[in-house]
Amino acid sequence: MSVALPKVLCLKKGTLLKQVFALGRAATPRESCLCAAGDALVSCHRHYRSRPTHGIGRFKYLLPKEAPKRRKDKVQMKEINVGTEYEYGDVNIQMTSYDMCLVEHFAQYVHKLCNRFSVRVNESYAMPTKTNEVVFLEERGSKMQLDAVLTTHQRVVQISGLSSTFAPILLEIIQSNQPEGVHLLVKEHTEADFKRRLKSRPELEELLAQMN
Amino acid sequence: RSRRGRRKARWERGGKMVARTAGHCGPRGGVMAAPMKRAAGWGRWFCTAAAPRPWRLFGAMCLLRLPRITQPLEKEEEEMAALMEQIELEKSHYSDHEVRKLEEEEQLRRRKESAYDDDDEAPGKTVIMAQDLEDKWEQKLLGFEAAPRITDADKNNNRTSLNRKLDSNLMLLVKQKIGNQELWLLPQVEWQPGETLRSTAERAMATFLGDHIQAKILGNAPYGIYKYKFPRAIRTEDNVGAKVFFFKAFLQSSDLSQAELKEDYLWVTKDELGDYLKSEYLKKVNRFLLDL
Repeated sequence: MSVALPKVLCLKKGTLLKQVFALGRAATPRESCLCAAGDALVSCHRHYRSRPTHGIGRFKYLLPKEAPKRRKDKVQMKEINVGTEYEYGDVNIQMTSYDMCLVEHFAQYVHKLCNRFSVRVNESYAMPTKTNEVVFLEERGSKMQLDAVLTTHQRVVQISGLSSTFAPILLEIIQSNQPEGVHLLVKEHTEADFKRRLKSRPELEELLAQMN
Repeated sequence: RSRRGRRKARWERGGKMVARTAGHCGPRGGVMAAPMKRAAGWGRWFCTAAAPRPWRLFGAMCLLRLPRITQPLEKEEEEMAALMEQIELEKSHYSDHEVRKLEEEEQLRRRKESAYDDDDEAPGKTVIMAQDLEDKWEQKLLGFEAAPRITDADKNNNRTSLNRKLDSNLMLLVKQKIGNQELWLLPQVEWQPGETLRSTAERAMATFLGDHIQAKILGNAPYGIYKYKFPRAIRTEDNVGAKVFFFKAFLQSSDLSQAELKEDYLWVTKDELGDYLKSEYLKKVNRFLLDL
C-alpha cells in the first residue's frame, strides 16, 4: 500500500510520475501531502483556464433563451371557461379574517390540499392588509372614544384546471375544514381582481390627465 | 361564502346514451342497464323508437345543515395547538401596544428610582397608561357571556329541531310511502321526462319543504346512486326496479319558519342515520357523506 501511495501523491501540478520504491522515502511525499491539505491554493486539480477542464460544469448555454423581462406588468392569462371537458378557468379562493396566523395557516392548508389533489395552483398571494378603527360613541354625548384597531388580512389561492365533477367535492372539503373566524369566498378570476393587486399611481394619473 | 355554480357536468351532454327527448340522466359512474348500451349503437339522438327503460328514476336531495361551531379538539390536537402558539409567540415581534407598555414600565421604574424629579408631566394631565387599557379590556371580557354549546334541543333530544348538534352536519329525513311501506328516506321524487335530474332533486326539496328554501347545490353531478329491484310481485318487463340519484345541497339560512313541512321529518347526523335507514340504502348514502 505504501508503494502505491507515493505514486498517487506525485500526480500534482503536471509533475512527472516519480517512482519511489523505497519504503524509507515514504516520509517525504507524505509530508508534502500534509502541507497540501492545509494550503487552499495547492489543491490537486483546479479547473483553471489553461487546463483542459476549464468550463466544466457550464450549462446555461444549453438552456433555451429566455425573453428579456419587461418592466410593464404581465398580461393575465385566461382560460376558456366553457370547454368540452367543462373545466373551470382561473378560480380564486379568498380567505379573509382578523387573525393573521389563522388565515395564513388555512391558506397553506388549502394550497397543500390542492397539491395533493393534483389541482394546479397558479399563485398564492396576499392582498394588502386593511386597518379599521372601531370607535365607541358614548351614549350621551358626542365624544368618540377609540375602542379598538382591527386589521383584516386576506389570502388568495388561485387554482386552474378544476374539473366540474370534482369542484363540488373540493368545495365541500374546504367548507367543512374552515376554521372559525375565517370568511371564505370562491370566485372566478377577473381583470378587476387582477387590477386590485396593483397600486395606483396618482402622480402619473394626474400628469396623464393634464396631458389630455 | 358564495359560489356561482353554472357548470353542466359531463354526462349532461347525453353523449353515448340513448335519451328520451331532453331527459339526460346518466350517472357519473356510468351505471346503465345493459340493453341500453347495445341500443346506443344505433345512433346518438335516437328518441322515439328506443325501448322504454325498465328502470324508474328518482332524484333525491340530501339537505345538509353545516355545523355552526367547531368540534372540540382531541388531546393531541390541543397539545399541538398550544405548542404552535407558544412557538409563534416566541418568534413574533412586539406589537405597538406591547412596546408602549414596556416603555411605560421603564418610565415608572426610572421615576421611582430617581424619586420624582422630572416635572415634565403636569399633574393635571391624565395619561392613559397601557396597563389601564389592559385592565379595561379585561373587565369587558369578563362581562362577555358566550352562548351555550349544548342547546336545549340537545338535552331533550328533539330530533326535529335544527338547533341540535351544532358541531356536526345535520341531514333531512322524511317519511315516505314506497309501495305499501312507510319508510324513512331522503326526500325523493320521480323523474319526469324533460327535466334534468338536478331539477328533480330541487323539486323533491320544494315538495317537502316549500318553495322558499335557501339551499345551494354545488354541482350538476349526482353524488351517489341507489339501485333496487322491485319485489317479484310488482316486477314487470317494463318496470324492473328503480334508481335513486342523490344530490347534495347546503342550507344557507337556518331560518325554516317559512317552510311548510307536511309530513314527518327529522334532522339527523351521520351516526344517527343507522337508526332510520335500511342497511343497503344506508351503505350507499354513507359513501358520499363527508363527516369531518
